[in-house]
Amino acid sequence: MDATIIIDSLPSLLKATLMTIILAAVSIVIALVIGFLTAIVRIVKIRVLTEIASVYVSIIRGTPLLVQIFVIYYGFPQIGISLDPISSGILALSLNAGAYLSESFRASILAIDKGQMEAAVSMGMTYWQALRRIILPQSLRIAIPTLSNSFIILIKDTSLVSVITVTELLQMSSLVIAKTFEPLTIYLTAAAIYWVVITGFTLLLDNMERRTSRHLVR
Amino acid sequence: MGVIQIENLQKKFGDNAVLRGVDLTVDKSEVVVIMGPSGSGKSTFLRCLTFLEEPCDGIIHIGDYKVNAGGKLDRSRRQTIRELRKKTGFVFQSFNLFPHKTALENVMEGPIVIHGAKPDEARKRAEELLIKVGLGDRCNHYPAQLSGGQQQRVAIARSLSLNPTVMLYDEPTSALDPELVREVLQVIKDLAREGMTMVIVTHEMNFAKEVADRVIFMDGGVIIEQGTAKEIFEHPKEERTKKFLTMVEE
Ligand SMILES: Nc1ncnc2c1ncn2[C@@H]1O[C@H](COP(=O)(O)OP(=O)(O)OP(=O)(O)O)[C@@H](O)[C@H]1O
Ligand SMILES: [Mg+2]
Repeated sequence: MDATIIIDSLPSLLKATLMTIILAAVSIVIALVIGFLTAIVRIVKIRVLTEIASVYVSIIRGTPLLVQIFVIYYGFPQIGISLDPISSGILALSLNAGAYLSESFRASILAIDKGQMEAAVSMGMTYWQALRRIILPQSLRIAIPTLSNSFIILIKDTSLVSVITVTELLQMSSLVIAKTFEPLTIYLTAAAIYWVVITGFTLLLDNMERRTSRHLVR
Repeated sequence: MGVIQIENLQKKFGDNAVLRGVDLTVDKSEVVVIMGPSGSGKSTFLRCLTFLEEPCDGIIHIGDYKVNAGGKLDRSRRQTIRELRKKTGFVFQSFNLFPHKTALENVMEGPIVIHGAKPDEARKRAEELLIKVGLGDRCNHYPAQLSGGQQQRVAIARSLSLNPTVMLYDEPTSALDPELVREVLQVIKDLAREGMTMVIVTHEMNFAKEVADRVIFMDGGVIIEQGTAKEIFEHPKEERTKKFLTMVEE
């Protein structure tokens, strides 16, 4: 292993890390929206939407992410939907994480004691007011640990998008290796960067969890 | 005419007929205590009054609002039920305080969400109510930091924050350690003295003797007999009442 190789390749790797972070961040935001709406639709039972939501969750959970990426990038153009690699990647990652997040949201909403909803509506709140003001703030706090788990998986899954030529961290590592012939050094460097990104993110969420559970500490 | 008028209230869970036609009229400022063995339908009765359970048949009339059982849950019916609930304070056996809000925020929640009160006004009123139930020094505590008795008093203050016409209590002290029961009953007694109309399900006989204008004995989903506490406790007419009383007194 040679330190100069690491130093020389670091600028390219860090630039690609930025792409990894952007892929992850954009996908997380979209996945949160999809996951949240899907969970609400399944809990409130909004006719056909509920069925669509369960089919969606079942398909995503029952198939490999790599296959989903291929279907979107290589398959969709056949039905007239051509997306560039980055958009395909983001779409696949968001749909995938969204399904898992919806399960976490759903479980965390159902975990709230039913007395909470009863107390809220018996004051005269509407179902939505009760959901928004009483149920969701509590379930979000419960959901944070599982959410952060899904986020970590999503950050790792961005590496799969390298197969459709998005130059994120893993893809860039391979490109650098093609020039330097130092797979061990470069892949270990990439691994170290993933570790730093994921650990930083985990600390951020832990901090958030601590702040939102203040009321549970005596 | 009564503040509460219930006619022929019926409720089935599947094949299980839990309420088999209950009629009840409660006058303004009257305090009614409901007693009865476990499973006799007391909780179901109270819950039907605010449509936490949808009754199968009957008419519910509280204050200015009248709702027939079993109607379609359309917009206007939901609206009427909500209005009825605003005027009907409900106190649960398990308190059901909002754990992510402080005592003060719990009591401010109703006025802010339901009446659109300004935070300042709501806060002032909430402070007054917490002082009234003896918790002026616990405003900023979260429910997890309060004893059961304190939590139940916050819950009562929360109900009072919407200026209810009537208050319903479902075994308000059953989840409490014995030494905490008195402080909660004292708050309810104070309200009785102020003329609050209340229906209370409880097993506390001494409390019933002190505050109840009327005691109702319920069993098998019907009212078996009713009268003053003295009449019911000392000279029960019905066999089932006698049997229940000897069981409770043991
Ligand atoms: N949600 C429900 N679904 C099905 N059955 C129910 C439901 N709630 C109550 N029941 C049944 O209705 C009957 C009356 O219950 P209820 O809770 O009203 O009795 P109670 O008089 O309040 O008893 P306790 O003194 O134990 O609180 C019981 O047989 C109970 O099993
Ligand atoms: Mg009960």
